[in-house]
Amino acid sequence: MSRMEIYSPEGLRLDGRRWNELRRFESKINTHPNSSDGSSYVEQGNTKVICMVQGPMEPSSRSQADSTKATIEVNLSVASFSTFERKKRSKSEKRMVELKATLERTFEQSVMCHLYPRTLIQVDVTVLAQDGGLLASVTNAITLALIDAGIAMYDYVSCISVGLYDQTPLLDLNGLEEKDISTLTIGVIGKTEKLALLMLEDKIPLDNLESILGIAIAATHRLRDLMDDEVRKHGNVRASKLAKN
Amino acid sequence: MSRKIEITTNEKTYFIEALKNGIRLNGRQFNEMRTPSNIFLSKDEYGYIELEWGLTKISCRVSSFIRKPFEDRPFEGIFNINCEINSMASKQFENGKNSDEEVLISRIIEKSIRRSNSLDLESLCIISGEKVWSITVDLNFLNFDGNFIDIGCFGVMLALSHFKKPDITIINGGKDIIIHDINEREPQPLSILHIPICLTYSFYNTSQNVEENIKGESDEDAIYLLDCDYKEDLLKDGSIIITLNKNREIIQLSKNGGIPIDVNILLDLSLNSIKFVNELTDLIKTLIKDHEQQRFTELNLKLLQVGADR
Repeated sequence: MSRMEIYSPEGLRLDGRRWNELRRFESKINTHPNSSDGSSYVEQGNTKVICMVQGPMEPSSRSQADSTKATIEVNLSVASFSTFERKKRSKSEKRMVELKATLERTFEQSVMCHLYPRTLIQVDVTVLAQDGGLLASVTNAITLALIDAGIAMYDYVSCISVGLYDQTPLLDLNGLEEKDISTLTIGVIGKTEKLALLMLEDKIPLDNLESILGIAIAATHRLRDLMDDEVRKHGNVRASKLAKN
Repeated sequence: MSRKIEITTNEKTYFIEALKNGIRLNGRQFNEMRTPSNIFLSKDEYGYIELEWGLTKISCRVSSFIRKPFEDRPFEGIFNINCEINSMASKQFENGKNSDEEVLISRIIEKSIRRSNSLDLESLCIISGEKVWSITVDLNFLNFDGNFIDIGCFGVMLALSHFKKPDITIINGGKDIIIHDINEREPQPLSILHIPICLTYSFYNTSQNVEENIKGESDEDAIYLLDCDYKEDLLKDGSIIITLNKNREIIQLSKNGGIPIDVNILLDLSLNSIKFVNELTDLIKTLIKDHEQQRFTELNLKLLQVGADR
């Protein structure tokens, strides 16, 4: 087998994209209207995520009720068939706990929690397939599901991963690329330049940070538009149904 | 859940008002670190340190033993960091139960040091596939006065630099080994490839209107403090942890929730951090050098050197 080239001299990546191209982004909302208050399905390339939101509802235990604001609980389950190699993942794994805490804390800020005191918003995420950008896809799916549930938010939280190969930033890494090069995941609120979420796990030179963030922010704005289109499309469908009755 | 420590509204308002006027209640500048004090490097054993940083106190012990390597990585030694936070440090931490906060602290220290390969694992290999050194760092937090991550990371790196493992000879053509007692032969230091330094910036929203801040309509109202203490930690609206090394590499960045941070501020903070990273890296190096020097003179090791005039 020939040696894999992350980024060829001609400027093409493993899957034929250029450095600044996103993967196919497809989303649906209200996929499970009967079993949840809000639901969504997101595909970013081959990463597939389902998200369901219950609530705002009365928490089952007293300790979860906060008299000033809503509590957000995220349950992240990664299917054992989601990767090439079948593997059972436990929820108590440190990495999972960290992701869960990161998601909870991010959405606590972007959801208008103070409007729903003493309630619980339960977010259940299932990862069906993983091919890079796990945290990014999960965040996008949660945003859409929260919108579907009609929970007040300041704006969309759109999230993307970016890597750095030599001096070139590569946008929206797939699984193979993610294994080889360091990845930064950022989440942006709406069309601002404010970072709600930030996670970098491997080394990158300090001087390249600016160029990476630049492309990443442009990408999150694009994703926000794509999600917004989907939400509006769904809204129109619903409105037309209402008009018929 | 452990009882949360509550701060009165009065205290909080006072604190925020002070920040607005450019004053931290502990008298430091916004980007001023406390300096580590009472640093104790053990003379009798290698790899035990204690240090105080403000009122935060930690102890850190490095231990080593020989074991079989993992099958998929026969050339690499094993390295673990074990983080203990219990209610001895502060009553907000509960015994025996890992809260999210505690997991985040230990994950970030682990990411900064272990994932970034700051310890050369291949140098820990003795006989490939058979025997490697296993290094474990036990980090104990003895008192809490804010900023566990930065101090923990600093402590672990100091302890690793201080640690020495017994010298080894391989005999019988690579079948057996002799472990030399540390009194018999001078033990070997670990090979440390770079020294990661964590810096935590806490931020505070001073404006009344959260919405404006989140939507990015007002920028001036956010205040960033380096190396927060106990009270500042309880009042923070969010934090960002930047790990850097002297080679101007970002090793780890994480922001877990909290109010959003502007990109330009992030860039400014990271560029400013380089100064502190250099200071702290040099501090570790000088501490170790002085300690070595002191040991050298006290034990009269000069007599043992090859060229010594006996």
